Amino acid sequence: MFHLSIDAEGFPLGKGPMVMLVLFLISTLFIFGRSEEEGEDLEFWIFANTHYEEYQARVPIFEAENPGVNVRLINFGGTMHDKLLAAMLSNFGAPDLVEVEITSIGRFLKGAIDEIGFVDLRPRLESEGWMDKLVVSRFTPWSYRGRIFGVPHDLHPVVLLYRDDLFKAAGVEMTAVETWDDFINAGKKATRDLDGDGKIDQYAIVLDRRTESDYFNLLLQQGGGFFDEDGNVIIDSELAIETLEFFTALFNEHEIATPVYGTWHGDPSNFAAMQDGKILSILAPDWYVGILKSQVPQMSGKWKAIGMPAWQPGGRRTTTRGGTMIGITKQCENPERAWELLKFTYFDRSGLVNRYETTRIIPPLKAAWDAPIFKEPDVYLGGQPLGELFIQLAPDLPARYQNPYWSEAADLLNDAIFAAVTEKQTSREALTELAKKVRTLIAKDMNRWGEM
Amino acid sequence: MKILTHPNEPQGKIKNWNQQQKMAPYLFIAPFYLLFVVFMGYPLISSLVMSLYEMRGFQSRIFVGFGNFTDLFGDPIFWKSLRNTAYFAIGTLTLQLPIALLLAILLNSKFVKGKNLLRLAFFAPVLVAGVFVAIIFNLVYDQRAGLINQEFVLFGKEIGWLNEENYVMPAVILTGVWQWAGFNMIYFLAGLQGIRQELYEAAAVDGANWWQAFIHVTLPSLRPVIAFVFVVSMIGSLQLFDLPYILTNGGEPADAGSTIVMYLYKNGFQFMRLGYAATIGWVLFFIIAVVSIVQLKLLGIFREE
Repeated sequence: MFHLSIDAEGFPLGKGPMVMLVLFLISTLFIFGRSEEEGEDLEFWIFANTHYEEYQARVPIFEAENPGVNVRLINFGGTMHDKLLAAMLSNFGAPDLVEVEITSIGRFLKGAIDEIGFVDLRPRLESEGWMDKLVVSRFTPWSYRGRIFGVPHDLHPVVLLYRDDLFKAAGVEMTAVETWDDFINAGKKATRDLDGDGKIDQYAIVLDRRTESDYFNLLLQQGGGFFDEDGNVIIDSELAIETLEFFTALFNEHEIATPVYGTWHGDPSNFAAMQDGKILSILAPDWYVGILKSQVPQMSGKWKAIGMPAWQPGGRRTTTRGGTMIGITKQCENPERAWELLKFTYFDRSGLVNRYETTRIIPPLKAAWDAPIFKEPDVYLGGQPLGELFIQLAPDLPARYQNPYWSEAADLLNDAIFAAVTEKQTSREALTELAKKVRTLIAKDMNRWGEM
Repeated sequence: MKILTHPNEPQGKIKNWNQQQKMAPYLFIAPFYLLFVVFMGYPLISSLVMSLYEMRGFQSRIFVGFGNFTDLFGDPIFWKSLRNTAYFAIGTLTLQLPIALLLAILLNSKFVKGKNLLRLAFFAPVLVAGVFVAIIFNLVYDQRAGLINQEFVLFGKEIGWLNEENYVMPAVILTGVWQWAGFNMIYFLAGLQGIRQELYEAAAVDGANWWQAFIHVTLPSLRPVIAFVFVVSMIGSLQLFDLPYILTNGGEPADAGSTIVMYLYKNGFQFMRLGYAATIGWVLFFIIAVVSIVQLKLLGIFREE
């Protein structure tokens, strides 16, 4: 028989460590021993701060309307997609609802269609009539093989944002620009060496040649893409090749485009170049206007917007760039309740109007478009009602077909665009080689796995 | 904590107590081994097995044997990432370590004042997380208003440090120098302070000048420290990830900033090719092992003296 006695003097490392150990044990008991809140929990993962702030303000209303439901909003920032991937791989720990970014969704669609970790929302959307109430082309990024795995958060139509003052100084009236040919003519007048030192001081447009962003803008605008609706690779189509030839010509032949300063359009370097008057226009989705307003407020009143130049008179004047969806995971224990929260956050008219107020994001719900806020003059654009322009373009948004191989394809597409613009390869060579690589990749997987 | 036993303990219980005492050390070290098995042993074996498979979506996988390895050796982006990583490693060894040694020698000299302050200043960058260093240097390399181009623009060229293929890795190497030279300096400084003063005195008696003393006394005495710093820096260089990932926005343009670990991350997390990613991990392990052994051999660490 033996017994234990504990006193501070007998503790191996003395009093200090013992106090720390006791505090540690007490806090552990406190953390793990506290009782769970009663009721049903819904966990909702988010990666964007602005979305998180919006839902934080609105979720208490949902909880009040649904007594007993506790919504846990978790904002993981940029690492959220990796965490979701791990949770889906381990079949444990995924949230009930989650927002996924458009360039990240592809990886979640790999494997057999029945093994995809999101609930197919098509039956609910169709039976409740939501398909007709939203811009239908906007479901394409979140659909695969006939199933809809997410509801669009946004439309992200793209406009041409331009420096009215500097184009006018060059004798160009941008509102008269209707097609890309018009733009090239206008751009040649506005791209100038102002101080006569033989170097161009202002370029008509800034384009990203490091990534697929702007090239893909132009390709989607014409109804093209990397994959078609059935998952076939179409990046070596004549349309895609001609578009890349056009894109490279803006830099090398017409010399009216400058590569993006820094690493992307939102780089401080790019903003500095804009403020210096080095950049006269940019292809801007709605969210980018929000970034401009917050990052370079001093440029208020200097910008104006028109629809993107069309490829032929009367053609489509917009494209789409970026996006987020909300989905219900298969690990969700009560999909019906999650669906109610989804509708509350994505289909509530007043919530969507608030969203536009803070982020300038145009909602996919058509019923929200007649709200007066979308017609309000925008001070940043010298009083032009930008919301009205976006809504006017929104119904014409092109489809952007999703594919499980998008991440690999986009990575290789970045290289192909850079090779073409820097004239290491012709556009045809770059895209033909790219298409071959992606087809080989897919064929290899199909050989290993068989059709799924 | 005191453990007290009763003086008149029966024989059987004493035997039992002796057995407990034999077991006790194993129980005390058990937590480490348990954690090691769960967090190191199992993942290591699992990743080795995984390198022989490829994922088929989230729920199933398929055996591909050495298919991932043969694919990897024919993958141009892997070779480009390996080249970039080697470029960084060579840049680190040839630029960062001599600078670190030079700083250590300066701070070890009796002519420099404010040594403690300088030591702190040179060491401080290590305390900044790699992600923040990358964000800061994004501004330093800024094409329009960045600190470096503000100087270089005087020569008439606005360098796109992070935008032109040829400048990307030099930009990453320079950032690495800023962050890690001070850290390695501390090792060299410790090594320098451990060299016996009599050796320098003996060299001086033999008529050696400063340079001869450096070559024949300082460098040989520093050999174990140099070997350690070389090997650790080389391993760190081969594992490079966060700095170029943030600086170049994922390795662009044209994979000019891609490194092996970045390519591993992309395959594992962005392309959902976990088997291929595991293969890259194991190939990286063998590269590190071979390079480290060769380095140690060349630096004479295996020599018996």
